[in-house]
Amino acid sequence: MVHEAATAAPAEPIEPGPVARLFQSVIPSIEFEIGQSPLDEVITVRRDDFVRVMEAAKNDERLAFDCLRCLSGVDYLTDLETVYHFYSFRHGHSLAIKVRCPNEDPHVPTVSHLWHTANWHERETHELYGIVFDGHPDLRPLLTEEGLGYYIMRKSHPLADIEEWQEDYLATIEQAKAQMAAATGVAPPVDEKALKIQMAQQKGAVMKKARDEARAKGLSPEDEKAAVQAAIKKFEEEFAAGQGAAPAAAPAKPVDDRAAKIQLAQQKAALITKTREEARAKGVSPEEERQIVAEALKKFSEGQEAAAAPAAAPAPATPAAPAAPMDRAAKIQLAQQKAALITKTREEARAKGLSPEDERQAVAEALKAFAEEQKGA
Amino acid sequence: MAIDTHIPSESDLETIDINVNVGPQHPATHGVFRMILTVDGELVIDLDPVIGYMHRGNEKLPENCDYRQVIGYHDRTDYLAQFNTEHCYVEAVEKLAGITPPERAEYIRVILAELNRIASHLMFFGAFGTDIGLFGTSFMYAFRDREIIQDFFEEITGERMMYNYFRPGGVAWDLPDNFKQRCTQVLDSHKRGAEQLDGLFMENEIVLARCRGLSPVSTEDGINWGLTGPMLRATGLMHDIRRAEPYSIYDRFDFDIPTGQQGDVYDRLVVRLEEMKQSTRIVEQALAEMPEGPIMAEGLKLVLRVPAGEVYMRVESPRGEYGVYLVSQGSDKPWRHKVRGASFSNLSALRAMSVGHYVSDVIIILGSIDIVLCEVDR
Repeated sequence: MVHEAATAAPAEPIEPGPVARLFQSVIPSIEFEIGQSPLDEVITVRRDDFVRVMEAAKNDERLAFDCLRCLSGVDYLTDLETVYHFYSFRHGHSLAIKVRCPNEDPHVPTVSHLWHTANWHERETHELYGIVFDGHPDLRPLLTEEGLGYYIMRKSHPLADIEEWQEDYLATIEQAKAQMAAATGVAPPVDEKALKIQMAQQKGAVMKKARDEARAKGLSPEDEKAAVQAAIKKFEEEFAAGQGAAPAAAPAKPVDDRAAKIQLAQQKAALITKTREEARAKGVSPEEERQIVAEALKKFSEGQEAAAAPAAAPAPATPAAPAAPMDRAAKIQLAQQKAALITKTREEARAKGLSPEDERQAVAEALKAFAEEQKGA
Repeated sequence: MAIDTHIPSESDLETIDINVNVGPQHPATHGVFRMILTVDGELVIDLDPVIGYMHRGNEKLPENCDYRQVIGYHDRTDYLAQFNTEHCYVEAVEKLAGITPPERAEYIRVILAELNRIASHLMFFGAFGTDIGLFGTSFMYAFRDREIIQDFFEEITGERMMYNYFRPGGVAWDLPDNFKQRCTQVLDSHKRGAEQLDGLFMENEIVLARCRGLSPVSTEDGINWGLTGPMLRATGLMHDIRRAEPYSIYDRFDFDIPTGQQGDVYDRLVVRLEEMKQSTRIVEQALAEMPEGPIMAEGLKLVLRVPAGEVYMRVESPRGEYGVYLVSQGSDKPWRHKVRGASFSNLSALRAMSVGHYVSDVIIILGSIDIVLCEVDR
């Protein structure tokens, strides 16, 4: 998982709002940064001043923040931040106070003695982010089990590695199919479901035809039923005969290509399993393990390419590969041209002050002209 | 033969405190919630709530989702007040991205959120009745009415529970044609049902005997413990986020804020019952004023990229202050997505409210908090 780095603070200074100015007048000796939020004023204080700030916020008559409404941890990759959202029932004003601590030293003094509600909020933030609230009476985990050893809300903790899981899953399926093919000696049908649907459709058509014919002849319901059943039986016999012939007619070539692919997938799967087991035996962390596996796979595919290059001829899959990216690049280019055209036409239409329907039509016409141009080229 | 008439007094006996485990699977805990009670006879002298059985990373998952994909996760936090939670989240995104939803969408949101508040309080009365021993009757009355609202929501959104109907910038699709007529029907049937609930609860011998004067909370304590919503209003503080920091279009409606006097369990019932009536008033006003027009802001991209910034959006959910703290770094996914659950904070005061009461009363106190464990554990 890749995370973009935390963005820097905005360049221009932000004017302090009324609550921030009040805050400044209450504790003039404190340095703080002013941030912006659509609803509350935000200030960031230094950790050394934190205890004084919080005591003043609670006890000073002019601030009187009697309600700690929310306490959140935020992971900024190098720093951990704790955000306190306050509300004053007496004055009706609100403020967010933030304090940062580095990842290596995640300690913040507790405020649970000032606001009892902070007790659970701090316990939760401690277990999810690993921020230690010094002086908290009881920092047992609240939501997760005890002794977890890692902090699940940190950005370094992966959500789940879906790609890897999918790779494993596909490899397992390929392996099972290959085993089955080896055991029976017959390659599995390409798409069983489509075949079944096709058969059902044909069967339906036969039934309908037989019934219509019977009705046209003016047969009784029993005779009609018998006629339909006879038609179905005939159809099934024909179908079975046809299917028996069909796979016999088109074997050979695709099976070979497929077998090569399966073999490759099997080799890859074996490699993944082996590398992972080795890594686990060494006792490395899950992230490192994943990296090791990825490296091994890369090496393997490089080796494959190197093996394929001198041989060249016997690998039918490799020559096809370079063609695909070119095709892709052309497609992307086309799509980009189209998007530019759409934007341009829409802007023109808007500048003319057309209605949304006219605008849409103008865009459609432009696209049509573009497609014709492409076809001509 | 002399008969020994000496009766041992309590001071002669050696007593020990016993730990009693309640839950996690227990009908009185309203979900998967566990309490470890330390009892001296029938008296609770300590209480340790254990939560987290439903923790499923409802804050982590949205940090890996597109802004619109997150809406569904909010239905699954407070699953009894889904529209209120969705409202909070979409408002947060709109505040950050600078989107203004059209008028009609605002009215739709307010109507649905207020109806949802009614449905949630009905659920509370049904479940609370079973807690105090009004088995059956209260449950049937409340659920009959709740089901009518639930059906109405299903007609609009296509879903019975997980609506996923609000969007940043508006709502997913327009209301059905007969909306006003159906909504009036629902309100009328609810008014009749609310009268019956009023008659069943407010002067009921059982309710009066078991709830009045139980576990009174002062306003200062309530604020310090982080109580919000009906729990805090029951202590006598007239505070409602819809009035104090109006969001959406709540500043246009005329409604009262019901309060209690001493913050006991009975006051919490009174406040909730009165809140249902006030919600009905808001819905009626909104229905009368609701304009025609678009339901979605124009010019929104398929992939919503929100400029860097942060916002803590809060709404008045049926359980109290439901907040969403969003931090954006300019990408199409939230950098931080924190959910401030109302019942999480309310539940953290359970120990302070329960110590010194009888075991059977602790069940009532827990019921009066009206917890939703999916929102507590997230």
